[in-house]
Amino acid sequence: MMPQRTIDVSHLRTYEISSEAPLWWGQVCLAFVEGTMFCILIAMYFYIRLSMDMWPPRGIQIPEEVLPAVCVLLLLASCVGSYLASEAAKKDDRGGMIRGLVLNLVLASAGIICRAINWHGWNFSWRSTAYGSITWGILFLHTLDVVADLVFTTVLVIMLVLGYHSPRQRLGVHVDSIVWYFLVAIWIPLYVTVFWGPHIVGAP
Amino acid sequence: MSTLIEPTVRTTDVDRERAELERTWANSGGLFGWLSATTHQTIGMRYIVTAFLFLLAGGVEALLMRLQLARPDSTLLSADKYNQIFTVHGSTMMFLFAVPVMEGMGVYLVPLMLGTRNVAFPRLNAFGYWMYVIGGLFLYWGLFTNTGPDVGWFAYTPLSGPQFSPGKRVDVWAQMITFTEISAMCVAAELAATILKMRAPRMTLNRIPLFCWGMLVQSFMVLFAMPAVMVASNIFLLTDRTIGTHFANPAEGGDPLLYQHVFWFFGHPEVYIIFIPALGMISSIIDTNTRRTIFGYPAMVLSVVATAFIGFGLWVHHMFATGLPQIGEAYFTAASMMIGITSGVQIFCWLATMWTGRIRWTASMHFVAGFFAIFVAGGLTGIMLAAIPLDLQVHDTFFVVAHFHYVLIGGALFPLFGGFHHWFPKFTGRMIDERLGKITFWLLFIGFNLTFFPMHILGLKGMTRRIYTYRSEMGWDHANALATVGAFVILCGGILFIMNALTSRKNGAIAGANPWDSGTFEWAADSPPRHYNFVLPPVCTSRYPLWTPPKERIGVTGLRTTRREVLVTSLMDAEPHHRYPLPHSSIWPFVTAVLATIGLLGSVFQFQWYYIGCALATVGLVGWFWPRGQRELEP
Repeated sequence: MMPQRTIDVSHLRTYEISSEAPLWWGQVCLAFVEGTMFCILIAMYFYIRLSMDMWPPRGIQIPEEVLPAVCVLLLLASCVGSYLASEAAKKDDRGGMIRGLVLNLVLASAGIICRAINWHGWNFSWRSTAYGSITWGILFLHTLDVVADLVFTTVLVIMLVLGYHSPRQRLGVHVDSIVWYFLVAIWIPLYVTVFWGPHIVGAP
Repeated sequence: MSTLIEPTVRTTDVDRERAELERTWANSGGLFGWLSATTHQTIGMRYIVTAFLFLLAGGVEALLMRLQLARPDSTLLSADKYNQIFTVHGSTMMFLFAVPVMEGMGVYLVPLMLGTRNVAFPRLNAFGYWMYVIGGLFLYWGLFTNTGPDVGWFAYTPLSGPQFSPGKRVDVWAQMITFTEISAMCVAAELAATILKMRAPRMTLNRIPLFCWGMLVQSFMVLFAMPAVMVASNIFLLTDRTIGTHFANPAEGGDPLLYQHVFWFFGHPEVYIIFIPALGMISSIIDTNTRRTIFGYPAMVLSVVATAFIGFGLWVHHMFATGLPQIGEAYFTAASMMIGITSGVQIFCWLATMWTGRIRWTASMHFVAGFFAIFVAGGLTGIMLAAIPLDLQVHDTFFVVAHFHYVLIGGALFPLFGGFHHWFPKFTGRMIDERLGKITFWLLFIGFNLTFFPMHILGLKGMTRRIYTYRSEMGWDHANALATVGAFVILCGGILFIMNALTSRKNGAIAGANPWDSGTFEWAADSPPRHYNFVLPPVCTSRYPLWTPPKERIGVTGLRTTRREVLVTSLMDAEPHHRYPLPHSSIWPFVTAVLATIGLLGSVFQFQWYYIGCALATVGLVGWFWPRGQRELEP
């Protein structure tokens, strides 16, 4: 035993449900990864546009406006659920977290259903020229991310319903909201590219 | 919450704390425990050892190529085998050796240098390692079953497309990329979070060791560059080849050149991803062995950051021969020359440090000196290649092969070997044989120059890359024979290095905590470090905290020893902010990696396996973070 100069940190709290948490930073890093991927896809979209005469090519319908716009609105609205859940997480309000996440799940699922209906009416697939490939590529990857997040949000809801709402799960709820904001925010440029692109840069 | 906490003198029962920490941080035994380990020293060392094994494999492939090219009209390897071997050589060195070994050094050293007990996401760390191993084994499974990729380490379309490369060879390459990139991204995210949020109290931004700065910058480069290669391998290659998309098919509006853009948007930063951690190692070796602080610390940090930014604006210089608009090419020439400035600033800072210090010529310093000689020569040919007229002349010749081996072996492998000799006492607790280390250096240095210098001449004489043989009348015989002799000298150096490491690990002199009298925190931990690194995590009092007198040093008390708890500090000034219990060891990262593997391997054959892989990985992840145990939750 030796006397030593020390600082005592035992009075500091454990866990922190905010941007001070390492997990928050890890999540931001993963958002960089996804964000870079989507930016590259947008660049690819316009690059491919340059090498084609018609955009979309002959025989492929121009995307319709209404359903995709509804989907954007639903996704934006679902952020409210995420926000409410993450605020409830900070206050350890289990009911609030469940309500927020369920609101998020319902609105986001409705958005995805809009998307599915929209796709169902399309007359082209990813095999129909490079236009089809890049359009479906963007939609598929974003939808995959969204569905993955919805699955894990559902798991979080199940945990909360089962009574697990320790700081670890609450941090999970908070970080889940970060992912969700990112997925919705990145959808806006992607949406503009895929659904307005043919109108703006589509002249034959 | 971030209030300044004033140090007080107190007596801590160090022995009791140590005993408790030993219990808390022990990995459980047996195969199950081995697969569940999440401590950073364990995972970091696994990365390093695995990467060195892949270096050995890549080296054997290089020797086979050199044997084939040693004399004209050789029939040792068929053209097809040669294609597979140079592709697997390049892919191994880039994806299975260079990046992972740097990540491994980072995983091992960064928490020690920061004065903390583990990385921020220990389970993600384990998961990343398993993905890396599986991806590497997959590539070699391909090579040994005659399914080795044969289209070059960058797999250009249209050669790698469905029309010209039927079969599964390219798919093996493309999916190996997925595995290794997932691994690199896991390490990048966890190291970035660790360096930003888990530094020792008062390790402000201008006190972070340069190696950690390097790893932070490298992590961000990984995060921004690696998605590009995932897009290239998964979207251009796998979906074009398995479900009939047309990204690289010009008949349907796709563009093979677009593949090159996307690939090199990753491929050029990749060089810096490998190189920047090596720069950090050089700084650590130089400050220790010149016994003074690094000259121009702010300039060093700023040039590393600038290198990272400029590194993203150079990719087109790999594509000068593709007929892009000249005005665009001119921009990339300028940017390529600009990166010489940031590298130059660092070289001059190191030279100034050495000039004004008292140099101790250890084996590691020999490797640093070798770095200067070789890397500067590689940099000079780099400046030459950045000039479009010269590039067009020597494009796709052995001149380029010589250039990038000078840059990568000189810029990354020599510092890595230096770092390995430097930190060997920390890794193993024993000193490495210095004399043998120096002989290793001379063998590698001479062998390297014998092998690669003649390639400049071969390139200027018109010998193209990737040809599997040549006619005697080309006049390439002597230089090729010389290069092959050099390759065997390198082999001798490699064998000596392995023997030295293995025997020193058993019989070397006991090192003690700080044999080199270094200044950074990794040398405050035991050699080899215990799993918790420090009984009392240190407080950072200066840029070289171990060079402050022992009386002025400060420790941290109050972290719970009965669980794996670390201190989280504020981003800029590293003031203590909150305590954070890390998750315990777990088998789930391994299980998740195996489950994801099922889907990723299946998708080589059928796209639908992606969905199965996603579903299985979800099961793994739920197991991973399902709450268990109350211990983590007590205040």
